[in-house]
Amino acid sequence: MTQLRIVGGTVYDPLNDIDGEVRDICIDAGRVVEDVPPTAARVDARGMIVMPGGVDIHSHVASGAVNVARRLVPEAHALDPAPAPALIDTAVIPRSGVGGIVPSTFTTGYRYAGLGYTTVFDAAVAPLMARVAHGQLDDTPIVDGGFFALLGNDRLLLDLIDGGERERAREYVAWLLGATGAYAIKVVNPGGVELWKRGSRERTELDTTLGSSGRVTPRAILETLVDAAGALDLPHATHIHCNNLGLPGNAATTLATMRTLDGRRAHFTHLQFHSYASTPDGRWRSGAREIIEYVNDHPSISADVGQVMFGAAATLTADAPVEYLLHKSSGRKWANVDIELETGCGVVPHEYRERAAVAALQWAVGLELFLLSADPWRIVLSTDHPNGGSFMSYPRLIRLLMDRTYRDAQLRRVESRLLAGSALTDGLEREYTLREIAIVTRAGPARLLGLRDKGHLGVGADGDVTVYAPGDDVARTFASPRYVVKGGTVVVEEGELRRAPPGRRLHVRPPYDRAITHEIRTHFDQYATVRFENFPVGELRDAPSALATRTPSAGGR
Amino acid sequence: MGDGYGMSAATVTANATCLGCGCACDDIDVVVDAGRIVEARNACSLGAEWFADGRVPTRCLVDGRDTSLESALTRAAELLFTARRALVYLAPGLSCESQCHGVAIADLLRGVLDSATTDTALDVVLTSQERGYASATLGEIRNRADVVVFWAVDIEQRYPRFLSRYAPLPAGRDLDAARASRTVIAVDVGGATAPRDADQRIAIDPADEVATLIALQALVTAPPDDRPALGAREGRAWAHARNVATTLLAGRYVALVYDAEPDERARRSSRRFETLAGLAQKLNDSTRCAAVAMRAGGNRSGADAMMTSRTGYPLAVDFARGYPRYLPYDGSASACLARGEVDTALVLGDAASVPASVAAALHSVRHIVIGPRASSALAGPAVVVAIDTGVAGIHSDGMALRTDDVPLPLRPALPGLPSAEAVATTLVGHLAARGRA
Repeated sequence: MTQLRIVGGTVYDPLNDIDGEVRDICIDAGRVVEDVPPTAARVDARGMIVMPGGVDIHSHVASGAVNVARRLVPEAHALDPAPAPALIDTAVIPRSGVGGIVPSTFTTGYRYAGLGYTTVFDAAVAPLMARVAHGQLDDTPIVDGGFFALLGNDRLLLDLIDGGERERAREYVAWLLGATGAYAIKVVNPGGVELWKRGSRERTELDTTLGSSGRVTPRAILETLVDAAGALDLPHATHIHCNNLGLPGNAATTLATMRTLDGRRAHFTHLQFHSYASTPDGRWRSGAREIIEYVNDHPSISADVGQVMFGAAATLTADAPVEYLLHKSSGRKWANVDIELETGCGVVPHEYRERAAVAALQWAVGLELFLLSADPWRIVLSTDHPNGGSFMSYPRLIRLLMDRTYRDAQLRRVESRLLAGSALTDGLEREYTLREIAIVTRAGPARLLGLRDKGHLGVGADGDVTVYAPGDDVARTFASPRYVVKGGTVVVEEGELRRAPPGRRLHVRPPYDRAITHEIRTHFDQYATVRFENFPVGELRDAPSALATRTPSAGGR
Repeated sequence: MGDGYGMSAATVTANATCLGCGCACDDIDVVVDAGRIVEARNACSLGAEWFADGRVPTRCLVDGRDTSLESALTRAAELLFTARRALVYLAPGLSCESQCHGVAIADLLRGVLDSATTDTALDVVLTSQERGYASATLGEIRNRADVVVFWAVDIEQRYPRFLSRYAPLPAGRDLDAARASRTVIAVDVGGATAPRDADQRIAIDPADEVATLIALQALVTAPPDDRPALGAREGRAWAHARNVATTLLAGRYVALVYDAEPDERARRSSRRFETLAGLAQKLNDSTRCAAVAMRAGGNRSGADAMMTSRTGYPLAVDFARGYPRYLPYDGSASACLARGEVDTALVLGDAASVPASVAAALHSVRHIVIGPRASSALAGPAVVVAIDTGVAGIHSDGMALRTDDVPLPLRPALPGLPSAEAVATTLVGHLAARGRA
């Protein structure tokens, strides 16, 4: 299908200032064009909602850690078998799998597409495990995607900071992103995972020191990596998971982190998990208002929410100390894998219950962040899948944002013990519009990811389009789009998945000063158990994204 | 192939990955001269045996007669497609890519999918699913572990370079000195002997093993004030545990190394893996601890990981209902063969590494073997099709996982032979085409 006309839908394309206008969308050779001839195939979208394909800025779908989680929850898989879809596409073999909270690879691709999402990023891949992540992405059909490389506890990076060599640290980062085929820099609990590996059980504050010189602190790690993303002209800002996730009072850490990066472009991920104030006796309470007001006032900052949805979850993170604490408090089974020289990995299955006070608070904090946000372009819809809940719960989350009656009904059911001071209990009236939903689920994340051809339907954009049938129940509308078009191919027709082309890999390969490889090689020779030559993943199926021209600090090639 | 008399120049493939055991050493320089491997530098005895001279048979057999690859594949596809119930068996010796093809074939045929893990490391896998695990990649052990416990693992025989590559011999990023900064505890259980060079050694009767581990768990989780009383209890298990607990608790980062695939020299409780994993998890309440359950060679961890990512389950998957079901006991290859449920089997990988019980059961069904030395390994009238391929890592590339799931590239020193991956890709194509027809 090379030419396509999506006829007569009501289009929401916020990047092009189109807010509910009836118009046709034409696609030729995978891209949006002005017009196509009458012979083009047609999709009848009259009376329907047309948006660009969804873009997930933060999910966990392809990594060594995701596989640890898959392995840990066979009971969840058994509850949700996923037969192969009835594809009419003979170029690919339809594959069965499992759903549940951590679906298998093929099912992940099918289900994202079935939800109208066409681009997905795994937010946390240990560089050492990059090959595994690419292998899983190869078998995650339809969606374009890539991953962010974990760098916030990387030993060579810490050593370079320790030696006062932040510029060289930047060159190392550039090398590492290219070597692993990553798309962006990820920081998870900067310094705190390394401290956990050393046996610390303390909170990690921004000026906790790690190195011999006193120069290595979470603050220095953050500054170095945020500056690196800027200097390397990376399409996405450094993606930050702050220190002290989940702990009461962590809003202070989050605010301090935002302040230290003031004026610099930074993305704060699953902000919900980092927006807790504390009562005088050390219990949780909402700190959402203070956090989101800071975000509102600082245009260089963006965030995704990491909403908690009631039901099953699997917490999986490089922030291994958090998982240890969760295991001790919940008694659920626990997997931990310390990853040499780089990061950690922890997994604990979890359940968010309406009648559990902390879960109810987390749910409320997420909604407060959404509803008090003043700029939808800088707040992104996410559940930190599968940490706050599955990506399959996005439609229900959309309904919570768009339908106050539905939201208030749920609010009345949840345990309110920790909700004192939450803006939600004061009666937040706001209901998201379709335009705002289009922003927080596609246009905004595409812009924040620097994906110029995604998240909109202007001429030249990727032919990724979702067509929803409106109805009384917004959740149902968003749960089963009538049509999904990916790169010009109609993958969902009349609500059924019919085609499953492979997705495209999104990655960057910034230039770097070749002199840094000597230092990297020495580090590998001394401490790594994988040879320097065996670390890079090599050529990927798709070419790297173009970057703005950049001259490495010492004249690299 | 050159004549070898002064004409050939040796070539060296540097940094090749060895799949002789789960250590997956990736620093092997493979020297090839006149079409043969003449040296595998840095390799241990298992590695030298694994690389050997790199010469493998290159036959394609149907009903014992030589034929072309294409006709062998056509026959294989026909057998599989007309099977009432097919088994796809992932033997050791495959790249991850080939393992994924095996998963695809089983899915397509609604067959049974299993791997060698079920007959060699089932208890470790099930324990990891039931209670989780506290572990680390091997480099973390190298860089950090100041206490290393080898628990009933013949490390020098089964994983010969572990000691020099991971611990205790190398210097570590977070250790002052190399061997001198580590305390090595050797726990011998029955005939399994830990390294000679240990700082502390205890020998345990297999019958006392689980009791000792439980006593150890009790000691390391007890409040410090209660430990003397517990430690004063009588009995061999408490005596052993007392010996070890103090050292464990004094460690900053404890590595607990054991063999996920122990041999049959001693009857052991199936609970031993649960208590080992539990001990490692519980030690994290007082210090840091990582358990390392070693796997044997041939990318066995890869099979678990590829099956898990693509089906949700690490072994013994049944696609009969059109989706994967996990049947780790009843649905293993051995169980399905024993019940006579399977009428056709596809063995992918090195047939010589198929566990003996599975190999014996395979005699009762017609089967297809695709992998290194297929034409010779599982001889007998039940072998209808045998397609020799090269060895992943010697003749073809791809990815393999170390015992700790760290991925490594395979660098073929002798490229050119058909790979299991290529043959399996073609087979998938044949089957898909038949499915559409």
